[in-house]
Amino acid sequence: MSTYVERFPAEAKVIRSAFYVSFVSLAIGALMGLLQTLHRTGMFEVFSEPGTYYTVLTTHGVFLVIAFTIWFLVGVFVWAVTTSLDRGVESLRFTWSWYGLMSLGTALAGIAILAGFVDDWPIVGDVSADVLFTFYAPLQAHPMFYLGLAIFIVGTWVAGVDWFRSWWVWKQENPDERIPLPTFMVLTTMLMWYIATLGVAVAVLAFLLPWSLGLLETVNPLLTRTLFWFFGHPVVYFWLMPAYMMWYLLLPKISGGRLFSDPLARVVFILFLILSVPTGIHHQYLDPGISEGFKFIAMTNTMFLLLPSLLTAFTVVASMEHGARQRGGEGHFGWLKALPWGNPAFTGMALAGLMFAAGGFSGMINAGMNINYLVHNSFWVPGHFHLTVGTAVALTFMASTYWFLPQLTGRKLFSRPLALVQVVLWFVGMTFMSNAMHRAGLLGIPRRTAEPWYDGFEFEAGVGSVGELNAQIALGGTLLTLSVAIFLVVVIGTALNGKSSEIETSVIPEPLSGPEDSPLVLDNLKLWTVIAVVLVVLAYTLPLASIIDRGGLLGPGGRAFPMSLDSLVVLAQLATEGALPR
Amino acid sequence: MNVHQYERYWLIAALVLIVAIIATVTYGAVGIGIAMIDDSEETVDPDALGEHERFSETGTHQVGENEYEVNVIAWQFSYEPGGSPDPPIEVPAGSEVTFYVTSEDVIHSFSVVGTNVNTMVIPGEVATMTVEFDEATEYGLLCNEYCGELHHDMEGEIIVHPEEEFDLFEIPAVDAPEQVDAGEEAEITVTLANERHQERSTTLAFEFDGDEQREDVTVDGESTEEVTFTVDTTDLEDDDYSWSVTVEDGMERTVDESGQLTVGEPEED
Repeated sequence: MSTYVERFPAEAKVIRSAFYVSFVSLAIGALMGLLQTLHRTGMFEVFSEPGTYYTVLTTHGVFLVIAFTIWFLVGVFVWAVTTSLDRGVESLRFTWSWYGLMSLGTALAGIAILAGFVDDWPIVGDVSADVLFTFYAPLQAHPMFYLGLAIFIVGTWVAGVDWFRSWWVWKQENPDERIPLPTFMVLTTMLMWYIATLGVAVAVLAFLLPWSLGLLETVNPLLTRTLFWFFGHPVVYFWLMPAYMMWYLLLPKISGGRLFSDPLARVVFILFLILSVPTGIHHQYLDPGISEGFKFIAMTNTMFLLLPSLLTAFTVVASMEHGARQRGGEGHFGWLKALPWGNPAFTGMALAGLMFAAGGFSGMINAGMNINYLVHNSFWVPGHFHLTVGTAVALTFMASTYWFLPQLTGRKLFSRPLALVQVVLWFVGMTFMSNAMHRAGLLGIPRRTAEPWYDGFEFEAGVGSVGELNAQIALGGTLLTLSVAIFLVVVIGTALNGKSSEIETSVIPEPLSGPEDSPLVLDNLKLWTVIAVVLVVLAYTLPLASIIDRGGLLGPGGRAFPMSLDSLVVLAQLATEGALPR
Repeated sequence: MNVHQYERYWLIAALVLIVAIIATVTYGAVGIGIAMIDDSEETVDPDALGEHERFSETGTHQVGENEYEVNVIAWQFSYEPGGSPDPPIEVPAGSEVTFYVTSEDVIHSFSVVGTNVNTMVIPGEVATMTVEFDEATEYGLLCNEYCGELHHDMEGEIIVHPEEEFDLFEIPAVDAPEQVDAGEEAEITVTLANERHQERSTTLAFEFDGDEQREDVTVDGESTEEVTFTVDTTDLEDDDYSWSVTVEDGMERTVDESGQLTVGEPEED
């Protein structure tokens, strides 16, 4: 038995189905990204009515960082658990049930967002959710958006139960064995996710959903925002940990070697479990109503969160070097030539790792509490996260797809050269776009803005010009969209490919330093969960209590601002009165 | 646990880097004194800012020898003051200026372009920032948090004046008759308040029926002067006439008052 689909045909179907939803979301999200780069750089006036930009931006954000990433990673997690425990899922019906919940959630939230492209629907009237990925109250989306989000998250919770259940049954049969590394990674990631999603679950179910249904009159905008970031930062690690998993498991194998250290990999995932959540307030350095001390604690935790990423950098490079030397590589740097650069899965992941290093450095700037004032909400920030989630995660997912697809379909990858072009094109496009976004942010150009040009002032570029930066961003965005298009061609080509020869085995080789070298305490998931919860309680109890004490559970007043205002009315008022009424 | 020697070195280097970054941030806060936006202000009701002690009086106020406060309300999609239709924010150079910013609707930002003066503006909360502008110049002001479909139009301006040219005059009252008999003199008495803490001089321009009278006035710090303009109605026909009085202090913000004077018998309705 060699390929995954031969060993686990039913599970392979689940994974394929998850991947396909992920790729459709990627296609929609990427198209939106192209429209944005062309419009906001002034290259083409894509939207005659600039308000449409925000519907596009919401679609881009939610479809990519929620649907594309999470649908992909649940597929990867099914693969990781079933292969490393060497057993299928306990109940296929149960597995399809979380698939169904996630699909329902995706559909509801997705429809609410996409409906924003049309002003008025028959019967239901205006439906929209132009609230962006962060949905800060008192901007208000249609209830269907919040409901979809909640159902989607519950779906991921049930998926986690599925994987814990597999591990539990396996453990009864293998009481003395260490948790296999891939399953260990899945379980620690899911424990982190359970803690992290509590924030958004409370924000949506206790406040935003009832408020959008008219059951609550007001909400406390600072409270719901803080609950969002309770989730909004760790969600980053929910995207990143599966990418790390690919770097730990697939990259050494494809390099021709073995993972450098199993114990350090476990340490890294435990650090993510305990440090991911008590950091969210670093997104709120500029928020009034949160004291400097709480911001300082979040800053310190955030900086220590650099540790697992720095450790990963070492392990990944060391594993690649080991692989290269197995393939005959020699010299201080000469071994780099012996790596399998012709393999798109390898090259994509290696380039993703390289870009992540750059993204990590701009992230250190963001995390610096005082220098953050210079870059907060500027174009610098999307420059940063297009390197992290937009490359470290997205490119790793796409590259690993080239390894997964033959495993899941039993079919040979359609056009390896095309796949290679795709990953390199992503790297080149992102170099242009992200670098220019960082620079534009330093000039003060804001993020999330349809037309960042103003009547009263201009942005002054020290080096180059705003026009040059815009050209680079538009060029980069176009190359990235082209790259996604090629990716989809390869995926569809492979799915329709008849050939099924010479697919490598799916077995992951043993690490150089195996689990026998890691202390048993690393596998004590209860202990690490308790520590994680204690850190969250320490980091969040006082800030949340203070916010509620200051402004009340439902806030000090204010109204809802539904994002379904008829845009024609607004424009008419502008035209007749020259300014908006207050 | 078996950790490779190089990996151990790397681990130590990583920890040193982390501690060093935390140390620089701490030095920035404690040593240089970069203050963070915090929770020093009480919450406010975003629907009742008109009755709020601070936000019912938007704009710049002098509060000490060299200290000013600027109260700003962000709204969809401008700033009061700062953006259209309100005048720009005006402050003197070389002084300690504290901004108090809140929102009457959704979350905005208050971001001065090309500087690190940047804060979120959250309804119900008040953001405060103390800034010293070194030289007289103009800054753009923008909202960098998505706030609705015209978010990209939300902008404003901050004008920093030389300290010696900066004025804060107000006209708290005008004592003017509504009607005089033809041939009588009408006296219009303007109270000019200097809200700066230093003595300041300016010119009042009074206009009546196309004729202008100008009067130079010097007002002590934090006090008022009364200036009386006299209108001779001898040559005027019975009618309604408009008057206006304007402070010509060189500020962008216009301080003026206007009214009407009826000469002769008021028309019966």
